[in-house]
Amino acid sequence: MNLFEFQGKRLFGQKGIPIPEGHILTSTDELDKVTFPAVFKAQVHSGGRGKAGGVKVCNSREEAKEALGHILGMTIGGLPVAAVLAEGLAEIQEEFYLSITLPAGSKKAMVMFSPAGGVEIEKVAEEDPEQIYTFYVDPFIGITGYQIRHMARKLGYGDVRDLAKILTSLYDVFISNDATLVEINPLVVTPDGLLALDSKVVLDDKAVIRQKELFDSISVENGSLPGMEQEEAKDDTITYVPLDSGSVGLISDGAGTGMLTLDLIRDAGGEAACFCEMGGLTSPEVMYSAMEKVLKDPKVKSLLVVLIGGFNRMDEMAEGIVRYRDEKGLEVPISVRMCGTLEEEGEKIMKSAGLPICRDLLEAVRTSVQMAGRE
Amino acid sequence: MSALINENTNVLVAGITGKSGALQTRVMKEYGTKIVAGVTPGKGGQELDGIPVYDLVQEAALEHRIDAAISFVPAKAVKDSAFEIIDSGIKFLVLTMEEIPSQDVIEILNYADAHGTRILGPGTAGLIAPGKCKLGAHPPMMYMEGDVSIVSKSGALSYEIGKSLTEAGIGQSTVMALGGGPLWGMTQRDAIALFQEDPQTKVIVLLGEIGGTMEEDAADFIAEHVTKPVVSMIVGRAAPEGKSLGHAGAIVQGNKGTAQSKIAKLKEAGVQVGRTPQEMVEIIRKIRGDN
Repeated sequence: MNLFEFQGKRLFGQKGIPIPEGHILTSTDELDKVTFPAVFKAQVHSGGRGKAGGVKVCNSREEAKEALGHILGMTIGGLPVAAVLAEGLAEIQEEFYLSITLPAGSKKAMVMFSPAGGVEIEKVAEEDPEQIYTFYVDPFIGITGYQIRHMARKLGYGDVRDLAKILTSLYDVFISNDATLVEINPLVVTPDGLLALDSKVVLDDKAVIRQKELFDSISVENGSLPGMEQEEAKDDTITYVPLDSGSVGLISDGAGTGMLTLDLIRDAGGEAACFCEMGGLTSPEVMYSAMEKVLKDPKVKSLLVVLIGGFNRMDEMAEGIVRYRDEKGLEVPISVRMCGTLEEEGEKIMKSAGLPICRDLLEAVRTSVQMAGRE
Repeated sequence: MSALINENTNVLVAGITGKSGALQTRVMKEYGTKIVAGVTPGKGGQELDGIPVYDLVQEAALEHRIDAAISFVPAKAVKDSAFEIIDSGIKFLVLTMEEIPSQDVIEILNYADAHGTRILGPGTAGLIAPGKCKLGAHPPMMYMEGDVSIVSKSGALSYEIGKSLTEAGIGQSTVMALGGGPLWGMTQRDAIALFQEDPQTKVIVLLGEIGGTMEEDAADFIAEHVTKPVVSMIVGRAAPEGKSLGHAGAIVQGNKGTAQSKIAKLKEAGVQVGRTPQEMVEIIRKIRGDN
């Protein structure tokens, strides 16, 4: 789950990281709270808000009224601005970059920092990679003193105690909230020490089992912001990715087989209309709702179901397919490749419902591509 | 022989009395896997299909020699259970559960490394040594005993290639799935190192997918250390950019993590690459000198 800047900053503040004093605004009637001059920043789950005009410094209430109205009505990166954060201006001497992440394939959290903050870190990585430093944190030891001294040296920042406070607090935010990313860009040097001018926080969706209160409070808060709908809780493990063109609706019971089938569809001269993978928890209901998701798309001219059961049971899959056909009807031709755990039981259910199956993947792919090509 | 497991491997099942644990235990036992003990706190003294159930892993370890453990413990309790297994001196642990909080996975992997326990997973279908031992979900009818070993991130993709090989009369030594990521214990490189040492393995199959750099790391290792023929297939050639396809790590960003770049790197390392299961079978057939 992605947090807005003001939500991330709230978590920072709770752990003692200095942040500018600010107010969250959702209408021009709320300007009384703000002392000028102030900076008005769009709250949106998208990068590049500065370039898009979503950040503006205002010196007076009159000026702010217009700017605020404008920013609140903006769409950035295809997403509506949910609110505006108004903050006092900081006296900036230097800008650093600091983040903690769990990189894919890593066994430890990684701290990344750079003396070149305030711009997109991807840009620094491309243009000036030697300005980016990283080190890893042992989960049972935490951040060590020498790592902080090393970092102070590379940043050219003399106040090691100030830096230690920021970094250990940020690590605390990362651990205690089950984040997968915490980022401060820029982390600025002011006459009073370091200050977190921005925040980016991503929470680990898998940790919802022990962070329910935090997840719930963010969802409720998001639902109260204009332009934001209350997110529906996801109660299955289905991944559904609609694709731009294509006419073959694809459902698979494994990500790897799904990707292979995507390739085979293209090799056979077709294109998939979507990628739909049922995930680790399958049942007749999951099969049913996967079909519902895929067949809602009018682009779909034939349905290809690719099943190779390990933990997944073919009798249950067949039950889900037949139930969907009986209750909702099938308006497009269906091709099912079914094999694996309880394949004979599954085949029996399909056959007695008059639905054909095949065992060979390539044959199933060719059939469905051919059927999708027919109008 | 097979890598990591064989007909003499004594197995402990953690979370043996849960729905998934009990079902999978029966299927594994029926296959011939030597399951000597199960653990579920509070269920000690019971039996499941003649397998004794203990409250504590240490109690089970006192009564039985245990070579490997497989865990069906729910995400909330899996970290503690894994620590208990590692502290009991068990050197190989398969973590089947998918939805484990990332920071718990990090702690498990680091604790295991420090104590010399190998972790396969999390979120893995496990591994099978056809005809000898099955630890996880691999459907038995897809496999037969032989000399090809397979490592795959995706479980289903390893079944797919196992099935194609078996139908072509080519058997397997060990078939291993690593899990969909983005955090892993064992990697493709680790598996290939084991296959290189396994006397039964004559041909190594590496099944990869878009995203991350695990295939590239494996290619570096193959170029330096592997003398056996390696055949690979990378899925997601037709994947759109910027979209995660079922596995958290399976995503192409810009020109990074594409199937094409992985294939090029593997070819440089001397790996033969097939595009489809049929092509894989043909390449392996030629290597083995079959007609």
